Amino acid sequence: MNDMTRPDFDKPRVVGQRTPRIDGEFKLTGRAGYTGELHVDGMLYGYPVSATIANGVLESLDLDAARAMPGVVDIFHHGHFEALHRSPNSMAHGDMVNEVRLPFEDERIYYHGQYVALVVAETFEQARAAAQRVVAHYREERGAVVSLLQTEAEGTLQESAGSSRGDPEAAFGGAEVKVDSTYHIAAESHLQMEMHATLAEWRDAGKRLVVHESTQGVFFQRNAMARVFGLAQENLEVISHYVGSGFGNKLFMWPHSVATAVAARMIGRPVKVVLPRQQDMTSGGNRPASRQRIRLGADRSGKLTSVIHDSTTETSLVHQYVDTCGSATPSFYACDNVSTSQRVLEVNHGTPCPMRAPGEVSGIFALETAMDELAVALEMDPVELRLKNNAEQDPASGLPWSSKHLDECLTSAAKRFGWEQRNPAVGSMRDGDEIIGYGMASCTWSAGRQPCEARVELRADGSLFAACGTQDIGTGTYTIVAQAVAELTGAELSRIEVKLGETSLPAGPLSGGSMATATVLPAVAAAVRDALDAIKEVAVGSGGAFEGSDADALSAEAGGLTDGERRVSFEEILETSKLSSVNGQGSAAPGDERSEYAFRSFGAHFVEVRIDPEISRVRVARVVSSIDIGRAINPPTARNQVEGGIVMGVGMGLLEKLDYDPRDARLINANVADYIVPTHADAPEIDVELLDYPDFKHNEFGGRGVGEIGLTGVASAIANAIYHATGKRHRDLPITIEALLASS
Amino acid sequence: MDDSVHSRPRVPETLGTQTLNFTLNGEPRTLDVAPNAVLLDVLREQLGLGGTKKGCDHGQCGACTVHVDGQAMNSCLRLAVMCEGQQVTTVEGLARDGELHPVQQNFLECDAYQCGYCTPGQMMSATALLNDERIGTDDASVKEAMSGNICRCGAYKNIVEAIQKSRVQLGHDATRKEGAA
Repeated sequence: MNDMTRPDFDKPRVVGQRTPRIDGEFKLTGRAGYTGELHVDGMLYGYPVSATIANGVLESLDLDAARAMPGVVDIFHHGHFEALHRSPNSMAHGDMVNEVRLPFEDERIYYHGQYVALVVAETFEQARAAAQRVVAHYREERGAVVSLLQTEAEGTLQESAGSSRGDPEAAFGGAEVKVDSTYHIAAESHLQMEMHATLAEWRDAGKRLVVHESTQGVFFQRNAMARVFGLAQENLEVISHYVGSGFGNKLFMWPHSVATAVAARMIGRPVKVVLPRQQDMTSGGNRPASRQRIRLGADRSGKLTSVIHDSTTETSLVHQYVDTCGSATPSFYACDNVSTSQRVLEVNHGTPCPMRAPGEVSGIFALETAMDELAVALEMDPVELRLKNNAEQDPASGLPWSSKHLDECLTSAAKRFGWEQRNPAVGSMRDGDEIIGYGMASCTWSAGRQPCEARVELRADGSLFAACGTQDIGTGTYTIVAQAVAELTGAELSRIEVKLGETSLPAGPLSGGSMATATVLPAVAAAVRDALDAIKEVAVGSGGAFEGSDADALSAEAGGLTDGERRVSFEEILETSKLSSVNGQGSAAPGDERSEYAFRSFGAHFVEVRIDPEISRVRVARVVSSIDIGRAINPPTARNQVEGGIVMGVGMGLLEKLDYDPRDARLINANVADYIVPTHADAPEIDVELLDYPDFKHNEFGGRGVGEIGLTGVASAIANAIYHATGKRHRDLPITIEALLASS
Repeated sequence: MDDSVHSRPRVPETLGTQTLNFTLNGEPRTLDVAPNAVLLDVLREQLGLGGTKKGCDHGQCGACTVHVDGQAMNSCLRLAVMCEGQQVTTVEGLARDGELHPVQQNFLECDAYQCGYCTPGQMMSATALLNDERIGTDDASVKEAMSGNICRCGAYKNIVEAIQKSRVQLGHDATRKEGAA
């Protein structure tokens, strides 16, 4: 007999169906509490003071004027701070941080924006006013490393971040057709709408710390803070109910959180710090600039014979961050001779960190632009070139793909885009005064999964409750958890309450790497099944609603249990047995399938650019994409993420660039007007198709995650379209008006 | 709206305060504010109305958009004392009698957001532009008019769809055609 509690996930009722966000009303009415707007009794406001030089020494701080300002409670700095310990910074132990150096640890200045003091006052206005009265005296030193893009320095080779198979150098040497190009990408800002924010409150006479943080990982922050403050994990709670997005820079803890918690403990009152946008940009993470050389070798038919991908990215002087650009390259194309290498160069910038599709998005820009160059050299259609080199199994591991439909993505998107109307001759397509360019690129992101725990309660008031210590950063996690519970119990979505974003809940994963969906839902499903087993036991027990029945003969239906003839609701079953609730615990983790299959999503973007040659203006008019992410648990929110990735790709391709002053490495454009991101008017017409091939080898729900893949490949498709329109190959991002002018 | 759960930090007298009389979401309010207090911070920190968001504090992102006498404005660029005698509407004042405003309802149905942080500002700009006869009704005009509101999640397509659906429901097209005739 079938286990009736296991629904047929080939024919789900709720999973895979359009479901408005269950947290939507809170967000739309202003009732969703993001960290920066929370208040607790007795709370003070902190305002950081940050370095105005990028290289040198903090010689002294004049604090008298600031201390005399109304409402100022205390000012923290190198000479007035607690002695703490660094976090071990281990991914495996869940205590990784974004910057291992503690705030105010020494008086050396390593980057513009580094915190030199934290002013704490009764009101926000008072803290801000006093922070502006702090006078710092620096001894600035020459020799700041301004940027990877402004030096010939090679950086340090990272042996563990490279790979090699076959004999790529020999194969490249003997190749019939070659491409050898170097690409540069400027540093980018995450520019998440909600700045980093911390509210720290010590309880029980300074023994217990409660931290509200806008974070993509409450457990990582808890573990790191436990190490830094020498506290037992049980005495720390990190809470993050709503996150104004993160894109990677809220995965791990930053020094402002430590400074806030220290201030709260030393003063004995709660302290809230919301980073001003300028500090968020200088000191709250960035995507490091990259320099990449790609060498492709092919035979005359277009078959790749060699791929060599050598990358260098930036890190700061206080933390080692490796933005591995070549991580997708060994798996991308069927080719016997492939190598990747990665170097890292220290620069006088705030510490870089993962940013949406970290490393790979930079690498795919270079690889997919090089593929377009190869197609031109071969006089071959770029779609045909990609189909010809499609990897039928993962060439990096030799394992079969769990599920791969890149060929369908390429052909389907090409058809919807109208690729067959493309005249391959450069500059041949025009509409009035505008030159039209068509370009395309493939995209990809690995499909990971982590261990996870969850808890589900069925309650006598008719509600169902699901909890997991992961976060919803805007991707729709609250809603898909509710969908999973509804799917397995038949209950109405409106009866399901979901709690996320607390370390008091069962351990959940980071909201990052496109892994949350595949990680969390199987644990939630296990918890639901456990709760159903519990309520069946109640129902068949003495005085129960199905007294004397066989528990195995009962199944969940419409928010109750049925024996096939009679359905009794969960609340009635609980009432009958005088219980308030039953509880289910669940855990799930990746298993043997990880050594049997390779897991990765693929897709394709097709882009139309329109260029006005009179003023060198380029606009992305249209993007048509087909993406294979397995099953979309909630298609509108999944599609929304891909569309958002495409918009961010327009920024990466044409607009976004952190500008560091070549004289002294100061960040010039640390504000939302001078660091340009796409607005409504920049957003192209977007047509996204999500293929529907559930990947049950990855997890029982069939979803592979969707956060990163939409961004990858977009900038390359734009650059390739600009080449088609102008004949000029742009290998540096962003492709600014200045760059277009220089090439015209 | 019940904001009793929020503690209200007292403004110490040493800084000096000024009394502000204005109408907030339809309710007359009197409060003491610091002369250097910005409307955005007074809403978020003094009144506990966190729906109006801080995204840049420089008038560059639009997350703090409110209506002042019916006009969309960046509340981060406005001292609170400048609102004397004015009508201020925030996102908390959009829904009436527990019923979502059509713009809110369409944002929900069109999934016109992700993280939700820019959303109040987007909706305040949207409701203002739907009443602004200077702004064309086509998508391009709406996109141009909405370009002061940045959405880093990139939900622009769905936001424009939600605005245009609201336009139809609110009957603005009909009203404006009559007005033009």
